[in-house]
Amino acid sequence: MLAEKFEPIIVELPLLQIYSRLGYVNNKTHLSDKQRKQINAYISQAEALIELKGLAIIVGINKVTESEITLFNNLILKSDLLVKLLLNSSQVLFMGATSGETITKAISENSAPEGDMTQAVVFDAVASEMTDAALDWMVHYYNNTMRRQNKALTKRRFSAGYGDFAIENQKLIYDILNMDQLGVKITDSFLLVPEKSVTAIAGIEQITD
Amino acid sequence: MYKKNKISDKNNNNIMDIKKLIKRKLLILDGATGTQLQKLGMPQGVCPEIWAMENPELIQTVHKNYADAGADIVYTCTFGANQIKLDQYGKYDARIVNKKLAVLARKAVPANVLVAGDIGPTGKFVAPFGPLDFEAAVNIFKQQVKGLLDGGVDLFVIETMMDIQEARAALIAVRELTDKFTLVTMTYENDARTLNGTDPVSALITLQSLGADAVGSNCSCGPKQMLEIIKTMKPYAKVPLVAKPNAGMPQLINGQTVFSMQSKEFAGFAAKFSANGVSFLGGCCGTNPEHIQALKTKITKNKIKPIACARKSISAVSCARSHLLLDLAKSFSIVGECINPTGKKVLQEELRAGKMGLVRALAKQQQEQGAKMLDVNAGVAGIDEKKTLTQMINLLSVSSELCLVIDSSTVEVIENALRIYPGRALINSISAEQHKLDKLLPIAAKYGAMFILLPLNDREVPEKFVRRREIALQIFKQAQKHGFTKDDLVIDGLCMTISSHQGAGIETMKTIEWAAKVFKANSICGLSNISFGMPRRLLINSTFMAILRKKGMSMVISNPLHETEKYNKPAENILLDKDKNATKYIKYCHDSELKLKGLKLKPKAIENLSPKQKVAAAIIEGNKEEIKDLAKAAILAGCKPQELVQKIMIPAINQVGDLFDKKQFFLPQLIASAQAMKTGFEYLEPLLKNGQAETAKKNVIILATVQGDIHDIGKNIVALLLKNHGFSVIDLGKDVSAEKIIKQIKKHKNPIVGLSALMTTTMVNMKQVIDLANKQGISCRFILGGAVITRGYADSLGAAYAGDGVEAVRVAKSLSK
Repeated sequence: MLAEKFEPIIVELPLLQIYSRLGYVNNKTHLSDKQRKQINAYISQAEALIELKGLAIIVGINKVTESEITLFNNLILKSDLLVKLLLNSSQVLFMGATSGETITKAISENSAPEGDMTQAVVFDAVASEMTDAALDWMVHYYNNTMRRQNKALTKRRFSAGYGDFAIENQKLIYDILNMDQLGVKITDSFLLVPEKSVTAIAGIEQITD
Repeated sequence: MYKKNKISDKNNNNIMDIKKLIKRKLLILDGATGTQLQKLGMPQGVCPEIWAMENPELIQTVHKNYADAGADIVYTCTFGANQIKLDQYGKYDARIVNKKLAVLARKAVPANVLVAGDIGPTGKFVAPFGPLDFEAAVNIFKQQVKGLLDGGVDLFVIETMMDIQEARAALIAVRELTDKFTLVTMTYENDARTLNGTDPVSALITLQSLGADAVGSNCSCGPKQMLEIIKTMKPYAKVPLVAKPNAGMPQLINGQTVFSMQSKEFAGFAAKFSANGVSFLGGCCGTNPEHIQALKTKITKNKIKPIACARKSISAVSCARSHLLLDLAKSFSIVGECINPTGKKVLQEELRAGKMGLVRALAKQQQEQGAKMLDVNAGVAGIDEKKTLTQMINLLSVSSELCLVIDSSTVEVIENALRIYPGRALINSISAEQHKLDKLLPIAAKYGAMFILLPLNDREVPEKFVRRREIALQIFKQAQKHGFTKDDLVIDGLCMTISSHQGAGIETMKTIEWAAKVFKANSICGLSNISFGMPRRLLINSTFMAILRKKGMSMVISNPLHETEKYNKPAENILLDKDKNATKYIKYCHDSELKLKGLKLKPKAIENLSPKQKVAAAIIEGNKEEIKDLAKAAILAGCKPQELVQKIMIPAINQVGDLFDKKQFFLPQLIASAQAMKTGFEYLEPLLKNGQAETAKKNVIILATVQGDIHDIGKNIVALLLKNHGFSVIDLGKDVSAEKIIKQIKKHKNPIVGLSALMTTTMVNMKQVIDLANKQGISCRFILGGAVITRGYADSLGAAYAGDGVEAVRVAKSLSK
């Protein structure tokens, strides 16, 4: 079974999250009009360079023990915390999203000594938040489509490298989604390239009467 | 859609029947079907439609239960019976499946209960929001519609749509096959937008103009939240509204996800829905016959009647993510004219090459300068206009939130554009040229578009207002036959150039004034024509805009990057034909040009700050553009370069660090200040001969992101800040091996080494570097940083720790002592 591809993913600009990620604290951080205008212009430029796209696939759970989950495709996910999250789940949803190569290149160029570092940090924050928003978008999409089957996604989602769910699982998720089709590569140390790419797992639970 | 085009079924009294019915009573829709089937034994993972078809008595039980509970309309069990979804379960013919399920529904309920053919999403987003081609989507839905018609449904419902383009495709499929009453309901998220960002009012404007007989929302949320969605739609609805909420939202109770709202509470919202224009009310996920029965009881007992929405027409356009109300009395809207290749070589070349970068940039720039709509035109010789305009519309539908004006002189191009545009568009334009008028009016009506009425015909471009009015009224009379009202059109003031006919301005003013005050419709003008061939065109254009606004013009087609509403007396005089041959205006332009040449730049207002203080302020403000000049000014004023660095700039950047620590500054400000400092320092560096700044520079710090890690923005920030504080930074980059770092360390005497890592998998490589240094007996001091690094981890390796760039500077300074 092939992963479902979503391209483009359209999300509302998560402005508050972007400011917050950059360290802005309401009623504390002082920002002149000129500075705010400049930062908003950078945010707007970043938004134009981001091309959100994603992949998702549902796989059934075959067996769950205390510390591992065996899926129907014989993949094994080892993590106590993940087992806890998927306690009531019959299936898992694998998701991956990227903000594309253009923004990553722009961040890289601007963070070089001759570049505009302020622009780079703002671009970086916009790309990070928008890529996360793309995952949120997929969560909403699947919740909407599954609600009629009386199913819902777990409230939380897990990423490789979180808690006891080893970063090595990034490769497993990468392969199952075939993220290469989004232009995303994976390094030997399990990092996704372009850098602003993410993966996650959520459980699918039955809604009870 | 004002006039129905193609009708395949003969018995079309049903629209009138239903319209009559909803004047008398609030129609009750059924509740959830899938969960009812599950209760009756449908196993997990099967296709509900196929299972229902194979278990006819059970699906009929569900329909019958809802009819018995009081539903006036039951939905066929065909939500997922489109070919795309059916193909996931085997070889099934969608038309046959739909027909069978429609027949089952029809037989299950009494004749006085209506059967709605249910159409749900395909699961694929439709272009430009996804991979499914628009025409392919229309054809898939048509197959379903044909089956439902074969099965004898009374009406249609297109429901649970997340993608406005998919809803449009389904509605077009229905409308191209039948005139039967059709409800369309979208699903909204917590922020009251669909997943793709469509708000309820935009969806309403799009769908009601495209021919939906009722519009609303289903699923999404519980009745309380859905009531708010309905309330936002009501003022703009000219069709009845539909609400089919869930039994609340799924909640986690005792480890189980449940829909918790009970039937009595659910039914308690009926009166509020009715008061807000809802004529069709039912239940979605989590509801069952009890909820529907409770609704029936409440409506009957409290004699709740539908209260119809009051509008007969609406002057508004929409796109996928916004809408624009063209309220004659209140609004003034600029239509950005820049996405038009006429006379623009660069844009022409881009379009010929199939590139859309400039189109995207022009859209953004115009929006930032106040455009409320974008005129899009792809009329370039030698290109496929239809294809290029499609590309433009697809791009802008995704990347811009502005509604589009479809600008073409070719009927076929306009028709295609209206079909694929995911909203209600404005056509630029429809004139009385007979061959075009006859074709364009039905097309505009079919897609529910608004249009700019251009008062000219095959024989003349009338100079005088009186003739323009005559032609405008002729066009309007024909448009009325297709169901158009004054709200659906915008009268063009027909702006001609004053350089060839000096009274042209006055005739346009009269046309606009008549349109706004007598005819009472929106009016528009292509501004730039007026000044063609004249000097200082912007002056005339801007003045003309100001005059026309006073006359009642509600829209303008202009270049928002340059033209603003601004009044100029000499320009007004030529526009009002008070300056024969424009002699006074031309003299004014000549004189003012001379005056401008003679003017010297006014000195800036004298600030109270001293030159040195201005340098400090530039650093704190992050003003890298001016710091060099300010530093130069401070030195000219007698400040020594070393003093400027030590006593002004370093304290200023330290102050920025303090403000950052206190969260009074955030990261972009810190970096902007550091960049200003860097720019200032680069200017002063050659001037610095002796002193502490140079001494401080002797402190070498080697920075690297360790092997396996490709994140380096944090490390680059640290490098910038350290340079600000006089360190000599050797940045080895990212993904750097331990050996390479050690090799560099050896070149320096007891350097500080900053290592960065962002991943748990790569942080272990920091240990490798430190172990290798220890093994080789190399003397150096390490600082570790990065998202996953903790003070404890750094301690465990005998290294110092820095949580951010400012702390890295503090730690480096302390290690340098």
